[in-house]
Amino acid sequence: MAEVGTVVASLVYGVLLGFVFAAIAHGLNLIWGVTKVVNAAHGEFIMLGAYGAYFLNLAWGLDPLLASVVDAGLGLAVGVVFYFAFLYRELRGKDEIGLQSELVTLVATFGLSLVLVNVGIIAWKGDPRGLRYNPGNIVLGGLSVPLGGVYVGLASLGIIAISHVFLSRTYLGNAIRAYSQDIAAAKLMGVNPTSVAAIATGIGFAMTMAGGAFLTVYLRAGITPFVGLTYAPISFVIVVLGGRGKMWGSLVGGVTIGVLLDVLQVFVPVEIAYAAAFLVVIPVLALAPEGILR
Amino acid sequence: MTILRPTFLRLRAMSLRILPGHAWGKVRALGPTAQGLGLVLAVLAVVGPVLPVAIFVLLILFMIYATWAYSINLITGMTGYVSFGHVVFVGTGGYALGYGVKVWNIAPFAGVALGGVLGAVLALVIGVVTLRLRGAYFAIATLVTPLAAFYIVSGTPALGDGSGLPMNLGFQIGSQYYTIWALLAAEVALTWWVTRGRLGLGIRALREDEDAARAVGISVSRVKLILYILSGGFAGAAGAVFAWYVSGVFPDSFNLLFSLTMLAMIIIGGMGTVLGPMLGAVIVLIPHQILIRILPQGEPIAIGVSVILIALFLPGGIVGTIRQYVPDARRYFE
Amino acid sequence: MSQPSAKETAPSAPKAGRGKIIAIVVAVLILVAIAAAAVYYLVQPTPTGIIKIGFTISKTGTYTVEGTNSLNGILAATAWVNAHGGVTARGTSYQLVLDYVDDQSQASNVPTLYAQIVTQDNAQFLLAPYSSPLTAPAAPIADQYGRVMLSHGGASNTIYQQGYQNVVGVLSPASMYLRGAIDYIKANHATDNLAFLYASDSFSSIAGSYAAAYAQSIGLNVVYNQSYPTSVTDLSTQLTAAKNAGADDLLGGGHFTDGVLVMQQLSGVGWTPKLISLLVAVTEPSFQAQLPGVSNNVTGPSQWERSVVFTPAIASAAGFEWYGPSGAEFTSLYGNMTSAATPTYHSAEAAAAIFVLAHAIQAANSLNTTQVRAELGSMKLMTFFGKFQVNSAGLQVAHEMIVDQWQAAALKVVWPTAVAVSPLQYPYTGG
Repeated sequence: MAEVGTVVASLVYGVLLGFVFAAIAHGLNLIWGVTKVVNAAHGEFIMLGAYGAYFLNLAWGLDPLLASVVDAGLGLAVGVVFYFAFLYRELRGKDEIGLQSELVTLVATFGLSLVLVNVGIIAWKGDPRGLRYNPGNIVLGGLSVPLGGVYVGLASLGIIAISHVFLSRTYLGNAIRAYSQDIAAAKLMGVNPTSVAAIATGIGFAMTMAGGAFLTVYLRAGITPFVGLTYAPISFVIVVLGGRGKMWGSLVGGVTIGVLLDVLQVFVPVEIAYAAAFLVVIPVLALAPEGILR
Repeated sequence: MTILRPTFLRLRAMSLRILPGHAWGKVRALGPTAQGLGLVLAVLAVVGPVLPVAIFVLLILFMIYATWAYSINLITGMTGYVSFGHVVFVGTGGYALGYGVKVWNIAPFAGVALGGVLGAVLALVIGVVTLRLRGAYFAIATLVTPLAAFYIVSGTPALGDGSGLPMNLGFQIGSQYYTIWALLAAEVALTWWVTRGRLGLGIRALREDEDAARAVGISVSRVKLILYILSGGFAGAAGAVFAWYVSGVFPDSFNLLFSLTMLAMIIIGGMGTVLGPMLGAVIVLIPHQILIRILPQGEPIAIGVSVILIALFLPGGIVGTIRQYVPDARRYFE
Repeated sequence: MSQPSAKETAPSAPKAGRGKIIAIVVAVLILVAIAAAAVYYLVQPTPTGIIKIGFTISKTGTYTVEGTNSLNGILAATAWVNAHGGVTARGTSYQLVLDYVDDQSQASNVPTLYAQIVTQDNAQFLLAPYSSPLTAPAAPIADQYGRVMLSHGGASNTIYQQGYQNVVGVLSPASMYLRGAIDYIKANHATDNLAFLYASDSFSSIAGSYAAAYAQSIGLNVVYNQSYPTSVTDLSTQLTAAKNAGADDLLGGGHFTDGVLVMQQLSGVGWTPKLISLLVAVTEPSFQAQLPGVSNNVTGPSQWERSVVFTPAIASAAGFEWYGPSGAEFTSLYGNMTSAATPTYHSAEAAAAIFVLAHAIQAANSLNTTQVRAELGSMKLMTFFGKFQVNSAGLQVAHEMIVDQWQAAALKVVWPTAVAVSPLQYPYTGG
């Protein structure tokens, strides 16, 4: 039934989609991996990043790739504030983050997500706002690929690679890793747990909001205050698939979901492909709770 | 207080005449929370028919939400497992009623029963796999189920795909009212029952420290699964009543907003308590009816801010906080 | 938290004093809140000498944009009727009064609000909420209390298949949306292969699937027929598959974002269909703003365009009565009331509901539901929105959809030829 050309094309588009997904999930991955608690309002910070890119484009004509840098700077500050407002009370002084802390932060950030979506609606209405940024296409054989997607893919790859190098090669990165593996031991080594966790959260937010800027390239049809509700679950699934705290996991999870979505659609109705892309997380969690990556 | 006393005594004397002595003793032994909830339910049952229609219709919605709140309380409140995707049972129950009524021509009551059964079966299937996961992993595993269900029903012609299953059953508010009343009463009684005795002890131990509970011989996984199945059954049955109430079931019945609202209710009222879900439902729904007319946009923000403040500063919700700071009041707030 | 239950039976009357007081205070607070809410609803005066039209509208939530535009249309239409002597029945002139509440785009709010609107606010006539999932819960209340309910935003056909007595539609149902484009293809390019790709929400799935069936029934070749979820983020696979299936023309879409997505990804996958017709998105001005160039020669169906002029003369020639302002008059009134906004077709169809109702009451010469419903069932009316005539189920059968096309950054009516201001440009060239 399905032609080879269609399958190959969907594979390429799926990989590109996976790179976008990886970018928006990467910040969640870092924060969850380091602090051991989940930010249920993750999607709303993607949304804020996307609106940031939209307004930067509107005001100064910045293209979303440049806007992502500004977004990242904002995200760093927002993340540190978020850490002290939502996580500090629950995490301070603890050498092990228990289920109770996980529950408290999950619920509190869920409340934050309700607030942010609705503030977004009041501030920017519900109608989609789109950016006019289209660098064109490249044609490879019979296959046409949008350049915007390629740029975002490269940027996403770059961010993930840099974060990997940062965590494994720099002093601060090592401190963050030490904290994420064993808080008590990290403290003995002279790591200040509060500043390390706050900085890691800030970096995570920087990447999340930059991811929001990349999303505007992909969602040229327009962003709404509701985008977080779509992309937060996708981010959760990606981090679970790749394994929280594993930097390359974002890419593995993102590409898995992207390819699954696009290639499955060649063979089954689109709705079923979407359902499968979400449900895949359940068997993975049951069989390999630490994610696909070893 | 002293002025009230003679009235109270007279009332008690009256009720003593209605109930035989030993039965009255049993009612007294229930404690103030159960008595209070029983009184609320009794009043709802008696005054329903004489209320103005608009309030009667509102009370149906209130009881649907209260049933959902007690349902998520059974799993999330009792065990600390956050069932973010709880709406999957609501939608499943709704589709069970919609399909049954439209295709098999069954009575709505039968549809509600079918919704309850399907909700329980789905909870069994999901629970067997996901209840082994802890914390956020469980939350995420359950979160994806309504998302997947949304897409599946959207693409299934037998379920009306995107158009859903609108149905015309007429304006049967009386039947809806007493159906959801019975469900709520049964669920409140169940909640009260599982919080005491051996089972209650086991559940509390499980919530405090699952591994320790397992070590002292509590069959943790069975307790969790039973609670989850009950929870799914009630959510499914109430979801069927909801479909009946809004004359149709649509893919949007799997909207995560329902999960979030019921979760907010138990967070505000007090997780894992007998009184908390009822208080939470009152506190979320009464202002809702006023805010919707004067400040519709402010409402979700107010709920969100309350959830944040309560989660961070008063994690026990209203009931838990009163119990914590006013030990004398523990008798009245369970 | 883990209070041993054995303690509860112990007599502790003096100690429990504080707890009891708090318990009583909490109980009293809840009772006061409930009583206040009850009083709030019950103390609603019932004015006389007016016609009260009740409805809920989505000012927040998913349908914020459509709901706000519809509400503005309703407000403008009501202002016009009241400024032109109101509605006359049995020699009395009545002013229209609107009674509306935000339903937050949620079905759960609808039963309570319509029950309040009918039984406490005593609205004599109703408008339906926006969209079919919200109309379904309101319809049994309209039937129970014998209120005519005009639907201005529920295009889905399924509502009219439920046997409701009092629901009357003013707009063309979803099944008609893509017919214009198909008729054009049949008449001019009958050998084209058609691809249908549409969203699976209530409205779009009916529009897409009825259109595909209609195309086949008149002998056109459908080579691809697929739906996709509304929150879709990537359609490259489907577009590639449609292209590889040999499709010449692309019909479908859903709402604004997915319509724009289709256009963007078409160029991405390197397919240039000869004719593109997409639901909803195309007629939005921001479609062209977001897709300059690419949008050129894209077509889309519309319930109404300002450029299509209906007049009393056209009405009498077609054997229809006329009511209400001209399109130009309505547009300027709408602009005055909304700080210079332009009415969308959502505004127009909602306004039409008010004009249709006002005329039906006058023609029936009665405020009685049965008589007004009977009048609505038989009357043939034209307003600035076009024709109105319903079948026995209340489904709109006379209103005609038009096809618009972007030509040189302007939206032109191109079909049917009788009202076209410009010929349809074929083929689409990719901008």
